[in-house]
Formats: sequence, structure tokens, C-alpha cells
Amino acid sequence: MDFFGNLIGGFQTALSLHNLYLCFVGCLFGTMVGVLPGIGPLAGISLLIPATYGINATGAIIMLAGIYYGAMYGGSTTSILMNIPGESASVMTCVDGYRMTQKGRGGAALFISAWGSFIGGNLSIVGLMILAPLLANFATRFGPPEIFAVLLLAFILLGSLGQGSFFKTMPMIILGMFLGTIGMDPLTGTLRFTHEIRDLYDGIGFIPVAMGVFGIGEILSSAEGSIIRIVHRVKLRELLPTRQELRASWAPVLRGSGLGFIIGLLPGSAHILSSFVSYAVEKKVAERPEEFGSGRIEGVAGPETANNAATGGAMIPFLGIGIPTGPATAVMMVALMIHGIRPGPLFISEQPQIFWGLVASMYIGNLILLILNLPLVGIFINLLRVPFRILFPLILLICLVGTYSVSSSTLDLIVLLGSGILGYIFRKLNFDLAPFVLALIISPLMEYSFRQSLMRSAGSFSIFLSNPITITLLGACGLLFIWNLISSLRPTKPAWKKALEKD
Amino acid sequence: MSREFTAGLIFILAGIYGLIFSRQLPLGRWNEPGPGVFPMVLAFLLVLSGVLMMAQGKKGREEGEGEQEILKPLMAPGQIVLLTLGFILSLERVGYLGTAMAYMLLLFLWVCRYRLGPALGMAAAFGLGSWYIFVKILGVQLPLTVPALGL
Repeated sequence: MDFFGNLIGGFQTALSLHNLYLCFVGCLFGTMVGVLPGIGPLAGISLLIPATYGINATGAIIMLAGIYYGAMYGGSTTSILMNIPGESASVMTCVDGYRMTQKGRGGAALFISAWGSFIGGNLSIVGLMILAPLLANFATRFGPPEIFAVLLLAFILLGSLGQGSFFKTMPMIILGMFLGTIGMDPLTGTLRFTHEIRDLYDGIGFIPVAMGVFGIGEILSSAEGSIIRIVHRVKLRELLPTRQELRASWAPVLRGSGLGFIIGLLPGSAHILSSFVSYAVEKKVAERPEEFGSGRIEGVAGPETANNAATGGAMIPFLGIGIPTGPATAVMMVALMIHGIRPGPLFISEQPQIFWGLVASMYIGNLILLILNLPLVGIFINLLRVPFRILFPLILLICLVGTYSVSSSTLDLIVLLGSGILGYIFRKLNFDLAPFVLALIISPLMEYSFRQSLMRSAGSFSIFLSNPITITLLGACGLLFIWNLISSLRPTKPAWKKALEKD
Repeated sequence: MSREFTAGLIFILAGIYGLIFSRQLPLGRWNEPGPGVFPMVLAFLLVLSGVLMMAQGKKGREEGEGEQEILKPLMAPGQIVLLTLGFILSLERVGYLGTAMAYMLLLFLWVCRYRLGPALGMAAAFGLGSWYIFVKILGVQLPLTVPALGL
């Protein structure tokens, strides 16, 4: 079937009443998750996984993806109206967005943010539907050595792009990879680090670790202090931007779309990074950069567009080759695996109704989110009036039940709590947690492909240098490693990295 | 303790654990790598990273970068951890409904500092509400409501 035929088929799937309903639920829940500080898209997706057991894989992924991109929309609301980022990708929006609110232009900031998110989101879906099948087609040529090289490059990129220095992020990746080795060895059946605990034979569950690190860990951090919330009200008529504001935001929206999409392809916290880079670029190209921080619409339009465009980019490696580049896409992959589907190079050709149904639902979801985040923004603002001391016990309970429901194991709950404590400690120590969680899910595949490669070549490492793909990928790994080594010896850091560390 | 020192210590402890237990696993040969190779290499890298991080932390202190205290108020997080542990240990013994309501009540009373009346009301509402949503609507399999009564 041709490209447009597939897309029409996707719309037929996405527009069924059942899938429309699931898309709406995902977008609504995603916006709520984005609005509420303390719950990110990852915790949101994990919490709704049990709700997908009774529905088919297409409906499940449509709903979970809705939470993912919906959270990016919702995150801007708290940043603009309260100066508190509802989602980590909205940190930069606080700078100029809240200033605009103080000047009485909060409504316009919300409008431009939602509009930019809509444009960025849609453009990135166009990129997704063009690039993902191409990447999948290319990846069918991949054998174990190529997969190992891709994953090694992904880890080195993760280390380079994470918060803090390369040599601070790499130990987190190694720790995550080490945890990933727990359980039964897939090649020999040998039990590793299980200490005769039967529930550990399948390894440490990804969901308990991700929920613990990002859900429980976040709550433990938030419980240390109290957040005083001053919520600004916005009337419907205040949402309309002036002609000058609209004119000023077009270029940042287009630049943010391109930047966000490209950065979304990179492993790690791409949506956070994209908003920082977009802000830095807007400041760089502005005629009066000194005005940034005092309520410039470009400072809202660029980052908000970029973090939404990054969601489409992040879906490409996940759906095209089955390698998630961020914790949120990793949880979506686990959800698909629960339904018996493993994304990989053959996923798009073997499960076209899921892929194209998801793509079409993302267009529909972006439209739903535009409506939810503009005329209905007042409803979500009311959510912020619920005191945190009522909200967090409820979030804790949902995390516990959500984790238990996956495999009815008490050990999973202990892993959840342990990961929460670990997440809390590493948060206090200023370490990036996304690489740790990603390494946990990717490391079994990396080990498997490494050992399989050596078995194929009778122990010769030359197999990793036997074709142009592995040579290019490993060459890039080497160059990146040397670049990181040199930059760790130099005291200067790029502006976006400084901003990330400050956060 | 500085941040680097604490982090370094965690990595070293994890690495030492890995080195001890991966020695019990077969290493195999290069043409057939055993299940112990990967964990052993990772454990070694963890120890190495930890040592480097601790050294970096020490160097930073000597250069006068200043120690950053990480032991800020731990009261509320500690209470949450203890109560959550209690929830985990009693879930399969007491059943979901009783455990969830007791967990919520203690969180509202102890951590959130609500009075008994509102705390009881919210614990009952959240406990029953979550049970209804998860078990009745979403069909999640949770331990029996009151196992002793066979319910």
C-alpha cells in the first residue's frame, strides 16, 4: 500500500469512536499531568498502563502517546501563570512567560504557547511518518554488530547530552546497565544476582524502577518543602495576542519546530534540551537580546514549540528500530510489549494499523489539545488549587497500585520504593536520572548483541569493523568520547549545558 | 559529605557487590562469552567511576569549592518511606482496602498534619474510591479485600 493509502487507513483506525475516546482520555490526562507540578509524562503513562489491559494494542498506544504529548502542552500553563514548571521541559517558559503574566499578557503567552505547540507537534508528525518507515527499512540490514554499535553510540550521546559532565552521567548509565543484567541470562539461562528470589528471574522490572525514580523520588523531594502557589486568573478575551505578538512569534515557532524535531531524535531528555537550545537560539538571533527575561513572546514561542516537536522526533527511533531514546518512550515500549508487540525494524511493515493509527491519532490529538489548552484552560488552572498535601498521598497510592497491577508482585513494590529512594538521593546529588532508567531497558539488548557478534566471529573483534555502518557508528563513538574527554579538561561549557545544570 | 564523595561511595559499593557476585558466574571464552563477562566489566567500571568521582570531590574541596550539605530536612521523606514500606508489607496480608485506608490515614495525619476528622474522611474516600476505580472499573487484580474473611 502506498504512503497516502496507509495514512487514510490510519485515520480510519484513529477515527473509530473507541480510539477517538482513548485519544481524548490520553490528551486530557496528559494535560492534567503536565499542569500538575510533581507528576511528569513518565509517571502519567505508567499510571495508565493498567487501564490498557482490557483494550487492544492500537488503542493502548494511542492513549499513552496522548499523555506524552499532552503533558508538553499542559506544562506551559503552570510555567506561565505560576512560575512553576509543570513539566521539566517547560522550565524555559517560566522566564519570559511569567513576566508576561505579571505584565497582564499571560493570556497571550498561553495562546502562543498552545499555537506553537500545535504547529510544532504537527510538523514533527509529518517528519515521523516520513522518516520512521525509512529508518525501519534501513535497519532491516542490521545484525548484532550494527545493533551493538548503535546502542553504544546512543549511550555515549546520552552521556554527552545529559545534565552535568560526561563523566558524571556515564556512571549513571553504567549503574542502569548493571541493574539490567540481573535475572536469567538470555543466552545460557544462568541466573545472575537473583539470590534465589524467584521474582527476580525475569530481571528487575522497568515500570517499578521508572515509577520509583520519577514518581516516588519526585514526591520525596517535593515533601521536603512546601510550595506556595499564587495562581493568576486568565479571562477568555485576554487569550488573544496582539498583531505584533503574532508577527514576532512566527519565526520562533518555525525554528523551534525544526530544532525540536532534530533534537528529539537524540537519546536522553530531548524535550528538555530542545527547549533550552531553542531559547538560546532565539536570544542569539534577537535584535535586542537584553530584553529576554523581561517578557518577550519569542522566549515562550520557541521553547514551547520545540518541546512539542521533540515528541514526534523521539518517536522515530522507538517506532522505527525499537530503541527508545527517552524514559517516556521506553514506558510506551513496555506497554506495547505487555500487549505482545515488540517494536523493531519490522514493526511498521508487520503492524501497519498500529503505526499509522498512532500517526493519525497524533494529528487528531494535537487538535484536541489545542481546544483543551485554550478555551478550557480555566478548568485546568483550578486543578492547581488542590493543595499538594492532598494530592501527593493520592499519587503515592496510584504509583503503588499501578506497579502492583503489572505483575502482582510484592518484590516490584520493594523495587519501586528502593528506586524512589535512589531517585531522591541522586536528585539531591544533582545527577541526571533519565540515562540511568534508559540504560536499564537497553542494556540487555546491548549485551545480547555484543555476545552474539563475538560468537559469530569466533571471538574476533574485527566483526565490529567489518562493514561501513559499524565503522561509521564506532568512529562517531570514538570521536564523541575524545571530544568529551577534551571538554572535561576545559573549564568552559556551552550555554545550554550551564542552564541545564542550573535547573 | 560532598556530593561527589557521596555519589562516588554509592558507585563503589554497587561495583564491589557486582565484582563479588559476578566472580561466581562463568566467564566463558572470547568466541563464546559467558554470562559473567558483561556484569564484571560493568562492576569494574562502576568502581573506577566511583574512585574518580571521590577523587574529584576531594580535589574540589581542596580548591575551596565549598561543601554542599545534602542532609537537608529528611523528616517528611523518611516518614513517607516508612509508611510506604508498611503498605508494601501488609498489602497481601491485610488486603487492599484496609491497607490503603490505613496508609492514607497515617499519611494525612502524620505527614500532612491534618486533624483526625478530615484525615479519616479523606482516607476513607480515597481508599474506597481507588478500590472502586482500580478493581471494579479497570479490572486490576488486587489482593482480596479482607483475606481473613475470605472476601
